[in-house]
Amino acid sequence: MPDEVVDVLIVGSGAAGAALAWSLADTRMKIVCLEQGDWMDPAKYPTTAMDWQLRGFGDMGLSPNGRGRPEDYPINDSESPIHVSNFNAVGGSTILYAAHFPRFHPADFKVRTLDGIADDWPIDYRLLEPYYDENARMMGVAGLEGDPAYPPKKPTLPPVPLGKLGETLGRGFNKLGWHWWPSDSAIATREYEGRAPCINLGPCITGCAQGAKASTDVTYWPVAVRRGVELWTRCRVREITVDENGMADGVLYYDAEGVERKQKAEVVVVACNGVGTPRLLLNSVSSHFPDGIANRSGLVGKNLMFHPYAMVMGLFDEPLEGYKGPTGCCIMSQEFYETDPSRGFLRGYTMETLRGMAPLSTALWGMSSGQLSSGEGHHESYQQLWDRTAGMVVICEDLPEECNQVTLDPELEDGNGIPSPRIDYRLSENSKKMLEHCVARGKEVLEAAGARKTYAEAPLGVAGWHLMGTARMGTDPQKSVVNEWGRCHDVKNLFIIDGSIFVTAAGVNPTNTIQALSLYIADKIKQNLANLFD
Amino acid sequence: MASGFSDAESSTLTSVLDEIIPPSRDGKLPGAGELGLVDYIADAVEKSPDLKPAILEGLSTLQDLSGGRSSDGFSALSKNEKAELLKELATTSPAFLPGLTYQTYLGYYQHPRVLEGLGIPGRPPHPKGYELEVGDLGLLDPVRARPKRYREC
Repeated sequence: MPDEVVDVLIVGSGAAGAALAWSLADTRMKIVCLEQGDWMDPAKYPTTAMDWQLRGFGDMGLSPNGRGRPEDYPINDSESPIHVSNFNAVGGSTILYAAHFPRFHPADFKVRTLDGIADDWPIDYRLLEPYYDENARMMGVAGLEGDPAYPPKKPTLPPVPLGKLGETLGRGFNKLGWHWWPSDSAIATREYEGRAPCINLGPCITGCAQGAKASTDVTYWPVAVRRGVELWTRCRVREITVDENGMADGVLYYDAEGVERKQKAEVVVVACNGVGTPRLLLNSVSSHFPDGIANRSGLVGKNLMFHPYAMVMGLFDEPLEGYKGPTGCCIMSQEFYETDPSRGFLRGYTMETLRGMAPLSTALWGMSSGQLSSGEGHHESYQQLWDRTAGMVVICEDLPEECNQVTLDPELEDGNGIPSPRIDYRLSENSKKMLEHCVARGKEVLEAAGARKTYAEAPLGVAGWHLMGTARMGTDPQKSVVNEWGRCHDVKNLFIIDGSIFVTAAGVNPTNTIQALSLYIADKIKQNLANLFD
Repeated sequence: MASGFSDAESSTLTSVLDEIIPPSRDGKLPGAGELGLVDYIADAVEKSPDLKPAILEGLSTLQDLSGGRSSDGFSALSKNEKAELLKELATTSPAFLPGLTYQTYLGYYQHPRVLEGLGIPGRPPHPKGYELEVGDLGLLDPVRARPKRYREC
């Protein structure tokens, strides 16, 4: 439709784009979403074949720089100790996420007021609460009511199984008197809305062949498409264009054949994640916006937040059946979540326990850590490791700093010649202290659970899963990129709805909050349709 | 040479694989050589320009060294002789054993016979999946008994 002007053009079909498309479909507006990847075929996910253990290091790996998939764009993250993990397909990074699905705490929206650092959000938990609930219904969230770490909330599905591993670690937390709870997980633990129940395949992070994990290609998108939203795949957007008044009037994109096309739109919505979104905005240069569209504040790309992660592993004497069950979802602890200045840092972290390693990962870990011998004694040393590992990743709250940023790389380009993003990021002193603290506490609880040996890696280099803060939300156009409902201060028909708009990062996985925000912004758009651009 | 290696190279390689991972003493787990991983290694070598020269050079050196001890090559040597030559090779061809060991682990620990030997089904996880116990949620009683842990605001 080269000359047709669509009402809403969404760029990106991941967590945020899917939720907004579904919500706006109520309006019967002409809605088109452009996605640079394609639909995934779950029948081809790694767990359906014997090479399932290896493909997580290959074409279904975490890093776009190593996967070799043409729909990916390279990212120069050599100046960062944390490397970006994402995925480009219908469903975006929800294809590979672990489906850990916590909410923010109420205090996460009031960081400046409560702890004197960073900034408060212009919205709060109570405002988002109904959207968290709505998102739980759409995604299907497994969990257990009554967690004292949260205001009351009702999961839609029974919790993921603890298994022997979860029970073992739970006893360790109990021994220390620490908080723990079954993880909120976007996993269908029983049949839900046409999705088959989880059968404990293991590696959720290489795509769920069962369809039990709530990636948005199996949750929001089928409904949105049935309601009339058009989803065009293999369409890579190069830039957002503006009219003579500086309003967005559409995008230039490359179709599957590499042909440059223009699509006009009344409203443009960007949902490309905390790296892809600033990349697109910075690539959208015009006489109105010589530094990139919506960037009069100079803050597009600034304040990049990852979550610095630690991994803490323990070696146990007994088999734990750890190769079964959702990799990243078992139990979590928020014993050290809220600020306690006596710890030497502000804010806090969540411990998220992991299932154990598969046979090949066990061998490779044993090899790299020098615990696995080859030749005589190989099997004996392997048996000391196999099915004896359990541990956690610890997700530390990051704080916004302008020096941590996404810019355009002067040389690197994607397959269509579009400049790639460059990441400059360093850990803050607060993060370093938090990592040190969480490693010590992680080892302590694993030992309490019976681990005979513990190991730690911090920061975890591959763990750039959460990309936030690079087009932050706020009421002051000098200090933020979008307003309190995602509309760009500088361009009133341009919205941003992904993790870019986060003001602070909290110490939990962001997907649930990204989607709750997206549903909230969609509602604001619907409520303000008559005077959307005022 | 269906594998991409000559017959002599294949024979030497099979024997080396059994030195890297020999059969387990209880007989539950096979040696890497008897699993037929030569084709797997050949494929990996073809796909890795860095690995290929190291493996080919290492095999060649090993065959030369073996020739001085037995006309039947490396596979005919005693356990001790094989160990001695591999130790020597670690000095003369330092990239050979680490690269080959890594690839051997990749092939070995994905093999159905090995998975079964470890006590798990020798099949992909999907579509049958695995049974997993829900577990004892009563363990949460002490957590439930504690006061709320979030800040109201």
